[in-house]
Amino acid sequence: MSSSAPSFDVAVIGAGAMGATAALHLARGGQRVALIDRGEICRQASGVNAGTLTLHMTRAALIPYAIRGRELWMDAVNWLGMDVGARAAPGLSLAFTEAEREMLEKRAAARTAMGAPIRLITPTEALAIEPGLNPSMIAAAFCELDGHVTAYLTGRAYRKALVAAGAGVFENTPVTGIAPEAGRYVIRHQDGGRTVARRLVLAGGVWLETMLGWLGIAVPIKCLVNQLIVTERMAPVMRSVVSIANGLLSLKQFENGTVLIGGGWQGLGDPVRGGVEAIPANLMGNVQLARHALPALGESRIVRIWLGLESESPDAMPIIGQLPGLDEAYVIGCVHSGYTSAPYMGQLLAERMLGNEPEMPLFDPARLIGKLEDTH
Amino acid sequence: MNESQPAAPGRCGLREAAVRRGAPVRFTFENRVVEAYEGESLAAALLAAGWSALRDSPNGQQARGAFCWMGLCQECIVVVDGIRQPACRTACRAGLVVRKGTIG
Amino acid sequence: MTVSPESGAPDVLVIGAGPAGVEAALAASAAGLRVVLVDEAAAAGGQVYRAAPRAFTGMTATPEGRLGDDLRRRLAESAVETHFGHLVWSVSLGFRVDALAEGGPVSWSARRLVVASGAQERVVPFPGWTLPGVIGLAGATILLKSQHMLPGRRTLVAGQGPLLLAVAIGILKAGGEVAGVVDLASRGEWLATGAALLSRPDLAARGAGWVAQLHRRGVPMLYRQAIRRATARGDDIEVTVGPVERTGGPARGRERNFTVDAVAAGNGLTASTDVTRLLRAEHVFNEARGGWMPQVDAEFRTSVDGLFAVGDGAGIAGAAAAALHGRLVGLAIARELGALAPADHATQSASLRRSARRAGQFGAAMAGLMALRPGQVAGIAPEAVVCRCEDVTRREIDAACAEGVRSANQLKAWTRCGMGPCQGRICGDIASALVARHAGTEPRAGMFTGRTPFRPLPVAQLIKPVDYAELELPPPAPL
Repeated sequence: MSSSAPSFDVAVIGAGAMGATAALHLARGGQRVALIDRGEICRQASGVNAGTLTLHMTRAALIPYAIRGRELWMDAVNWLGMDVGARAAPGLSLAFTEAEREMLEKRAAARTAMGAPIRLITPTEALAIEPGLNPSMIAAAFCELDGHVTAYLTGRAYRKALVAAGAGVFENTPVTGIAPEAGRYVIRHQDGGRTVARRLVLAGGVWLETMLGWLGIAVPIKCLVNQLIVTERMAPVMRSVVSIANGLLSLKQFENGTVLIGGGWQGLGDPVRGGVEAIPANLMGNVQLARHALPALGESRIVRIWLGLESESPDAMPIIGQLPGLDEAYVIGCVHSGYTSAPYMGQLLAERMLGNEPEMPLFDPARLIGKLEDTH
Repeated sequence: MNESQPAAPGRCGLREAAVRRGAPVRFTFENRVVEAYEGESLAAALLAAGWSALRDSPNGQQARGAFCWMGLCQECIVVVDGIRQPACRTACRAGLVVRKGTIG
Repeated sequence: MTVSPESGAPDVLVIGAGPAGVEAALAASAAGLRVVLVDEAAAAGGQVYRAAPRAFTGMTATPEGRLGDDLRRRLAESAVETHFGHLVWSVSLGFRVDALAEGGPVSWSARRLVVASGAQERVVPFPGWTLPGVIGLAGATILLKSQHMLPGRRTLVAGQGPLLLAVAIGILKAGGEVAGVVDLASRGEWLATGAALLSRPDLAARGAGWVAQLHRRGVPMLYRQAIRRATARGDDIEVTVGPVERTGGPARGRERNFTVDAVAAGNGLTASTDVTRLLRAEHVFNEARGGWMPQVDAEFRTSVDGLFAVGDGAGIAGAAAAALHGRLVGLAIARELGALAPADHATQSASLRRSARRAGQFGAAMAGLMALRPGQVAGIAPEAVVCRCEDVTRREIDAACAEGVRSANQLKAWTRCGMGPCQGRICGDIASALVARHAGTEPRAGMFTGRTPFRPLPVAQLIKPVDYAELELPPPAPL
């Protein structure tokens, strides 16, 4: 960043899928956009998540967004310009105990009511779809709208599209503070430089609490430290995306044969240090579940274990929209299954900022901010 | 085979002649019998028996064999009694059933 | 999961039973501390003092062999609790160490952790380096020393550094043929190490003797040359060799072909930084010491409290320095934990430091010859596979960099380079050097992030199947 403070219509702080999508549509909509990240584009949650495009585990209220988001990932070649490995696959959620069967039925009902095509099926039907499953399951749910994306390809795709759209992509450019001035925001960088923009979008994931703090807004953001495990390439052992009703397992096999195991088992870490270390007992538990669901995994080798930081707002619902009390400042983030929805949610915010009515409602940040301001 | 003979059969004659090895052992690789000596690594025994290609690579289907000889490169992966492991780090034992480490 | 039953929680855990690790363990143990030493090999010695299998007899005695036997004997006679055949796959702060043995997973906790994981080899990629029969120079050393076996009937030896001569001579002694020795360095560069060689007249004399022996046997010695490509020709390998500049890149001049059945090629040693990277210790870069290495103080403490790194794993310095430094670490820990009086510690370590400085000189000179040169990186052929696990070529790496990659980790995300089962150990240094050329951050563009497991973990060895009801599960996700 030069000290002559380049000037933009919009500065988007945080180049994950949410921020990158918003920046892309704003740039295509004619805005002069700066997308700024302290690291590399889409290398945090957006680049390291399991890439599951499932509706089984999406919060019921977010189902319509996830359905649309999934469609967009599948169509990435057309609007993003690059295949990010999005593949449709049947989605199976399994129950091995009575308690899990009950969870399965409740989850399916809640999501079906929101438009997700999920139906309960018998173990026999599940085995017909996925012969490698553990036949000891007692119930299953099936969703035809499921699949996966190769998360780590996201950064390359977005960067190319953003540059083509004329956006400025500023990676490895940490921000240390933001000063609202009359009609603009002055963004201060670690190297002493500044960026000036008329409008601001905060898209910092687990770092949103810090970013909002720069603007004098206090919203506590919970940081989940999710464990992910990938195997060595294997012969094809599964063709669907598999989960368990308790929400503690996600399982999929990519075209290259590697199997990705997720499920939200926690590791140690925080927004300051990042994901620090996996907890061995949690690694074992996650792998136990995976092998139980798909016994063929007993022949695999685990090649890598890593951690991704996921943000959660105080009411576990997204924060997307205009920030109250400020001029043209917006925020986007804290979406469970946010990777699935990101191409849609980022687009909705951009639509709003371009002066159009977004086709689905946003998630008003004021609901979280007003309350806290009262206590100050 | 005469147990006192230090050198093994195998067309390559790669074993250092002066060294006396342990008891002879036999194992199979891709259903073919391999004569080796107790304590040798699978990779070494296979090399001496003329098998330098231990698997095909997953992406390009190229023949690969032991490279680093210290358990790092994963090029010498074979399947021993169902478990994938580096042949350079696996000791020969009588009766092992070994297959190439090609995936699929 | 079993905790080591014999001793409860040890005071010190040492990972790696090469000279550095063993000497650290012995020194700490001699002061009365409870020490656990873990290594994936079947016996102590590391790479430099690798023992042949127990069943082998009739090997010619060598100085390394004697040093290795002495090391193993002193260890066996000590109170150090050894766990061989244990593969460490994870380390957590505090410290907890997880390993995999034949019987299943094992773990220990210790107040002090010494990482003595040694070095690994770097090989600069060339087209055909993935052919069966092409092995590393250090790999050839291991094959010769620990299996008493030749890489082939007729081997071409190529690369840089002291391993070239050692492997060539080792092949001749084992009854094989050396088609040629191809050295990146010039004769002058070898002579320039003269002053350092004087610090180890025994090794200098041995080296000179080796050169003479190779000359007598008519083995072609090609200086300032490197392998350009290797091509399969039936069961044989045709290797094309050509001249290089001082910076290591290809130079104009006559190419020469060799037909062999094995190639031993290596371009230096680099510190194994698995554990120190994982624990986020600070690292420094020193090309002449192998590249990235953990930052350590005078007693080999890293920037992480309680974590020591010593031996080649803290920067290539050779076996003699490793042993002396290992002792220094053992003594330092003993003093820290109150098992050794400060006065005694001061006396014992003073003379060690002096010896270590002298020993380090030879190691440093040899490490200098192994340093990667910019031209070597620039000269990697576009079609050469850089990431062997994932078949990512130089061409693909350059394309990703042209689109904006600026770090090794970003390269991994964009191309899968480093995502295979070797976890980036073989390709990482070269990949980072390639990215640096585009990013303008030469000589490197960072290191791959350290993650567990340190080696691929067979699921069947990690967990035993249990009844679903017995699984300890966290609370389910909210509906």
